[in-house]
Amino acid sequence: MKSNLKTTSCAAGIVLALSACVSSTPERPSSQNNAAAPQQGGSSEQIVLALSNSEFDDGFDPTLGWGRYGSPLFQSTLLRRNSKLEFENDLATSYIVSDDGKVWTVTIRADAKFSDGIPVTAEDVAFTFNQAGESGGKTDVTVLQEAIATSPTTVELRLKQPQSTFINRLVTLGIVPKHAYSAEYGRNPIGSGPYKLVQWDEGQQLIAEVNPDYYGTVPQIKRLVFLLVEEDAAFAAAKAGQAQVASVPQTLAVQSIDSMKLYDVKSVDNRGIMFPYVPNTGKTTPDGAAIGNDVTADLAIRQAINYGIDRKALVDGILEGYGSPAYGPVTGLPWEQKEADIEDGQIDRAKQILAEGGWGDKNGDGIVEKNGQPAEFTVLYPASDSIRQALALSVAEQIKPIGIRANVEGKSWDEIEPLMHSNVVLFGWGSQDPTEVYNLYHSKSAQGDFNNAGYYADSKIDSVLDLAMGAPNQEEAIAFWKAAQWNGQTGFTTKGDAAWAWLVNLDHTYFVNTCLNIGTPQIEPHGHGWPITANISEWKWTCN
Amino acid sequence: MATSFLPRRPAVRFNRRQITLLSIALCTLFLVAIVFSNRFVGDTGLDPALTQRNQPPSLAHLFGTDWLGRDMLTRSLHGMSLSVRVGLLAAGFSAIIGTGLGLMAGTLGGKVDAVITWIIDVFFSLPHLVLLIMISFAIGGGTKGVIIAVALTHWTSLARIIRAETLQVNSSDYVQLSYKFGRSPFWIARHHMLPHVIPQLLVGLILLFPHAILHEAALSFIGIGLSPHTPAIGIILAESMRNLSTGYWWVGVLPGLLLLLAVQAFDTLGENVRALIDPKTSQG
Amino acid sequence: MQLGIAAFMLRKLLRLALLLIAVAIFSFVLISLSPIDPIDAYVGADMLQISPEQRDIIAQRWGLDQPMMTRFILWLRQLASGNLGTSIIFNQPVSTVIGSRFQTSLQMLAIAWLISGALGLAMGVVAGARAGSWLDRAIRFYAYTLAASPTFWVALLLLLVFSVSLKITPICCATPPGVLTRDVTVWQRLHHLILPAATLSLIGVANIALHTRQKLIEVLNSDYVLFARAQGESLVGIIRHHGLRNIILPALTLQFASLSELFGGSVLAEQVFSYPGLGKATVEAALRSDVPLLVGIVFFSALFVYTGNLIADLTYQIVDPRIRIGKSS
Repeated sequence: MKSNLKTTSCAAGIVLALSACVSSTPERPSSQNNAAAPQQGGSSEQIVLALSNSEFDDGFDPTLGWGRYGSPLFQSTLLRRNSKLEFENDLATSYIVSDDGKVWTVTIRADAKFSDGIPVTAEDVAFTFNQAGESGGKTDVTVLQEAIATSPTTVELRLKQPQSTFINRLVTLGIVPKHAYSAEYGRNPIGSGPYKLVQWDEGQQLIAEVNPDYYGTVPQIKRLVFLLVEEDAAFAAAKAGQAQVASVPQTLAVQSIDSMKLYDVKSVDNRGIMFPYVPNTGKTTPDGAAIGNDVTADLAIRQAINYGIDRKALVDGILEGYGSPAYGPVTGLPWEQKEADIEDGQIDRAKQILAEGGWGDKNGDGIVEKNGQPAEFTVLYPASDSIRQALALSVAEQIKPIGIRANVEGKSWDEIEPLMHSNVVLFGWGSQDPTEVYNLYHSKSAQGDFNNAGYYADSKIDSVLDLAMGAPNQEEAIAFWKAAQWNGQTGFTTKGDAAWAWLVNLDHTYFVNTCLNIGTPQIEPHGHGWPITANISEWKWTCN
Repeated sequence: MATSFLPRRPAVRFNRRQITLLSIALCTLFLVAIVFSNRFVGDTGLDPALTQRNQPPSLAHLFGTDWLGRDMLTRSLHGMSLSVRVGLLAAGFSAIIGTGLGLMAGTLGGKVDAVITWIIDVFFSLPHLVLLIMISFAIGGGTKGVIIAVALTHWTSLARIIRAETLQVNSSDYVQLSYKFGRSPFWIARHHMLPHVIPQLLVGLILLFPHAILHEAALSFIGIGLSPHTPAIGIILAESMRNLSTGYWWVGVLPGLLLLLAVQAFDTLGENVRALIDPKTSQG
Repeated sequence: MQLGIAAFMLRKLLRLALLLIAVAIFSFVLISLSPIDPIDAYVGADMLQISPEQRDIIAQRWGLDQPMMTRFILWLRQLASGNLGTSIIFNQPVSTVIGSRFQTSLQMLAIAWLISGALGLAMGVVAGARAGSWLDRAIRFYAYTLAASPTFWVALLLLLVFSVSLKITPICCATPPGVLTRDVTVWQRLHHLILPAATLSLIGVANIALHTRQKLIEVLNSDYVLFARAQGESLVGIIRHHGLRNIILPALTLQFASLSELFGGSVLAEQVFSYPGLGKATVEAALRSDVPLLVGIVFFSALFVYTGNLIADLTYQIVDPRIRIGKSS
């Protein structure tokens, strides 16, 4: 009997010992020998950031889309934006645009080095731009004909036609090394940015260390740890003192955390409801997804919804005031057409619009019909996003009184993709690059993917958008961008075609440790990346 | 000392049968109330009311409100009703499958029995939840996926019990006599086996419900297929995880308590029915 | 004796092979039912950035244009040779992912298993010895209530109390954030796995406690114990010499059989604590349609449970003197 107990306890002991031994095997090989493990709690040695859990499926490859909204941490870009959104030189020392707008000649600095010590040359810049064009990723350089390095520090970017928004590519496309680029680059991104990637435990954390050869201001914080957690876990991490910077959903921004300060950063990150613009005639996308929705194809429905929604209530109730109403896709940007703003929350006006459009409630069920078609549709939101869920549910609630029934469903993006051309979807956009307006509203952008998923098409608006893109520079394009929104008679906003019902602009809310000085955050774009790190070289840890 | 280890008997005893019947009545009442509760509380509590967010339990909102101002009691009752109904449906299907296969195995014996026993073993060799996830993933999630997944995985223990009972009966004299008289196995199963196993079946069925309900809650907690704003108990609990650090404890603790009570009620009901019907196995 | 064990192992291996084939057929059929084509899922990740020649090789290997039966056989052959495919989520071979995630889970599972076994045994013994007392009632109430509790809710409660309110345990994960993997100490790992392990233990004790209690009551009611009592043996002595012998075997069998429940429980507990083990990987695979990983995990869990039952059988052979002595005589 005693021997049996002994055997059992021996076996148990072996299992424990095994697991303890096995636990010390590293999961991924780290690149260098570093100092002893840093302590928790933040210091100039290391800070922990709990920012949103974007999916980095393609890795950190700028040619595939990393950093397309700005500030790729590991690479440097030719130009950058300062906190006032003005363009400044970064890798580039100067640039000239030819008179016909088709050739950009950029001179780069000679002292930039990649993190493996090899200098950055114009060959790398040319390679990057050409690669971005070929790889079919999410970075759009289709207007580029080819990029050629004419000297070690000069590169010519030749375009097929002039494009006023091309300057944004110089701001967001991080430069990759020609000598170190391969299919695996995304997991081992060698760049000339302020930080280099040291360890990446997918789905858990990412560790970056400062690049001592960085040509700009070498950051004070030696090591960054990014916790790849969901939005709510970021708050929990901050509250537990485990993160010094945490991006939290607006619903949690009203909480208070000891020794942390709330930064309310304005952004152009917006949320809106996209309507399928055409009726359902049986057409499908190249992938076979259905196009069109008979209810939302009716202008009266779209306008009524726009007038019936109370955007202020959404901002106050869901965003806790950390946001602002949006009536178009570019609220807060220089090319916003303020004339397109409407007075919303008007239930009676909405009802009137429906009545004038031929909608009436004949069977007394609370839902209006027209030619036997009830005003009912499905609103889809990505299941992982709580703010969008709240917006969808609240909007459905708000339009009930005007006689429209919206059935809300949450699905994964995989499930939404085939459905998004025939159902209403709660999307989020928001870029400092006006190309987004073209992508959302030009008829050519509707290719069966996320751009212009509603298949909006208006030939007059198309020509205005073409004029905007073809303008010689961004300043001259602004008048056209504004006209496309609303020029007094036509436009894609509510007073015109009401293609979307834009809802709100979010403020990005961050909790930052009071010991950390992050300078002045810029107006942030839609968050597929870490926009708060745009000025990371200036961050300082001020306590001891 | 000498008497210290004999099992003590309670000083005052109610008639055991009375206690059993009372328990059965109370549990059944509670469960029926849960199933029909969603009609009584109505739907208004499910809609967002942005001006009443995050309120702790009070007289107006017994379970408080959540981050969108929805009444947690309404949501919990709707969720519990959904879970119980799904559980009942799935357990019902499971019971049919389990009884059918168990009877077949016990009556027909031989190769059929070997095959069925082997199938049962295969099912037992996979962790329950993994099997559930796999099946509901294949079917595509949603309530349909959950019901089918739960139905297809819970029949095994019932089948085993029924099979054991049937085997026992099969070897008894009167059944052997029926065979000699030329009755088909199907007839024997219907007229001899089935009446014999009904008590076991009933008890097994009742005890199946809590498992089905818990597994349905687990699947919706994980988030397979259902819309995240559906008021299913698992989803409510998953949502409560999000704002844990804010101190809004009622969003998670109270619905979970309701689930616990409902499952407990089923368990107690099952145990008491077993005591009533089959006194032999209920001692101790 | 040697031949006996050899034949025994052979039989068990044969059953294992049959089991794995059954699981393979089951998985293949299930995935074919879903909107996702099983072969596409395995090939998809490989096909993205390669040359046409390589594409042909892959098409041949997986039998892309062949009928269902051929594709199944080819798929089975790939699996048998160890190629479980590439995980879409982690971009690593499935076997690597399962290996590393299982290491993390194993630490937690081992501790939960040991604690639930030891604690369950102790509680069952105490309850059985003092049957009918308030202690027995308390233990029984606890066991019944806990058996009815949802695992994820108990996990949630523990998280609320210990991590949020009292702040003595971490909110998530297996290691402290920001620490390189090789710098993590054993104590830090323990600190992070204590709550998930506690959750699983709390729920796992119920079953074994109740069964042990039942067994002990039977033992204490038997004739030979009455005889021992008459000879002046104390309660503790009786439990040590008569009770434990009879209890240990069924308890052990039960513990090994509980591996299946433990694995299932870990899926939920790891989800609540964001503990990056195999359970969480299962959920991620299902939510993000990572078919190779999901099928790999199904196979692995079948293996895991089978091994547990096998060890239970073996232990029975070794520990029970009647079987041991009966064989050699």
